[in-house]
Amino acid sequence: MKKISIYRPTSIEEAIQVLSLHGTEAGVYAGGTDLLIRLKNRLKQAPTYLVDIKKINNLRYIKEDAQGGVQIGALTKIAELAESELLAKKYPMLVEAVRMISSPELRNASTLGGDILQEVWCQYLRGGYACWRNGGYICYGAIGDNSYYHSAMGGRLCYAVYPGDAATALIPYDAKVKLATPFGMKELTVEQLVPGDMMVDGRIQSHVVRFNEILTEVVIPPPKPGLRASFEKLRPRGVWDFAMASLAITLQLRDKTIEDARVVFGGISGKPLRETAVENFLKGKTLSTDLGNQAVPVALTNAAPLKYNATKIDMAKGLLVSGLVRLNAAA
Amino acid sequence: MQLIEGILFEPVGCLAEFPSEEFNEIAVRLFDRKKKASKSASRSEDVVPALSELKAMGIRLVIASSLSDTAISHFLEKFSLKDFFSEVWTRDNASGIKVVPLVKAIINASFKPEHVMFLTDTAEGLKVAKEVGVNSILMINDPDEARRLAMDDPAGGIVSLHELPDFIRLIVAENARLPRL
Repeated sequence: MKKISIYRPTSIEEAIQVLSLHGTEAGVYAGGTDLLIRLKNRLKQAPTYLVDIKKINNLRYIKEDAQGGVQIGALTKIAELAESELLAKKYPMLVEAVRMISSPELRNASTLGGDILQEVWCQYLRGGYACWRNGGYICYGAIGDNSYYHSAMGGRLCYAVYPGDAATALIPYDAKVKLATPFGMKELTVEQLVPGDMMVDGRIQSHVVRFNEILTEVVIPPPKPGLRASFEKLRPRGVWDFAMASLAITLQLRDKTIEDARVVFGGISGKPLRETAVENFLKGKTLSTDLGNQAVPVALTNAAPLKYNATKIDMAKGLLVSGLVRLNAAA
Repeated sequence: MQLIEGILFEPVGCLAEFPSEEFNEIAVRLFDRKKKASKSASRSEDVVPALSELKAMGIRLVIASSLSDTAISHFLEKFSLKDFFSEVWTRDNASGIKVVPLVKAIINASFKPEHVMFLTDTAEGLKVAKEVGVNSILMINDPDEARRLAMDDPAGGIVSLHELPDFIRLIVAENARLPRL
């Protein structure tokens, strides 16, 4: 492993100063379940200067705000989200999703901010290949085994899928995030935060956070009465694994009529893929056992599978049927 | 990689798609200077937007091919691509094949080889690029074939032509910054 330096700032301002000083050679160190593995695997893109933000107060909390929404500090552990009674009461689908993240040990270490901003888990990147994200100019996933970690919805230089479950589950709740920047706080929706395969500061990354910015908080608006939600995830190993395909849905119901919908697929694209065609199809429809089958022809019509991953699209469509069946049964 | 000023294209395989079973037959026809091209050949859908964007970025686009004048002219006319290219070098006007059209293109455009990409989907193309000193960019058409060609150590590879502008922008950003990865 290359020699690294660790800074332990005690305030956000101090952390941003250090990040600004070292440019893209620095990186935020929180739970470490992604970052330390990148270092251990000797990836060229792993930072040399780690800015450990764990000493900064007030980044680890789950609290209800005055409007009835919930604010979650970026350093909150995934295990804490999974065990939160407040979240289970207000956003049960989010809790369902985070309980499927990784293993209990890793959920105890990894943070919400880290899960949202984690690097892709393409086996070629993680194996140290000089790909787009690791100092090279080719995607080995596009020419190698792409059955698991790669996009079936096209790509932009890198074809790895976005691996996080938390963002996929937060988008249907219209969650927002706060970023601390050298110029003050910035607010984005989670959907804007992880648009997939972006070129930021001369690097390909899944999110838009610049080298000197820090994700500090996730804010989820209060759920309206009649909101129903479902999260399902297909993975090769049931105990712990990344999604081959996942689906987070929220439906705003009046009786059984769908007034509004959010449909977000995970594990099939370089970003949590909001499928607005299906959302529009569902609006105004009556929830029924057969609605999923009716929605399938509208879903993922611009799929562009690689050689070995067309099955991801079948899985995603299957999840759409299954998700709507679940919601119908619960309504 | 250094800043890119120009891109040399091998037309077949990079700008148009040919059904693989007919490819050999088509290649033979083109080499034989026959005007009749396969009706089933089609221009890749991302070609025009990508070439337009590259031109708007100030990148000079040049055809450098071992095919004949007749074959290239027919190709560019059939696919309405002629206006995108500032120069066209063929086996006829370059008086040679393989490295010769590339060298002629580079000299005539006053390019430095390290500031040039050569887009190709063949082993021969990669070899020629290496000889001339330009950046060989593998066009990933068939993944299995591309995997084999990746062993020849191309400077880069793209799946679709629409990625080429982003590729150039990434190089610009890398050269501008902020220490790279």
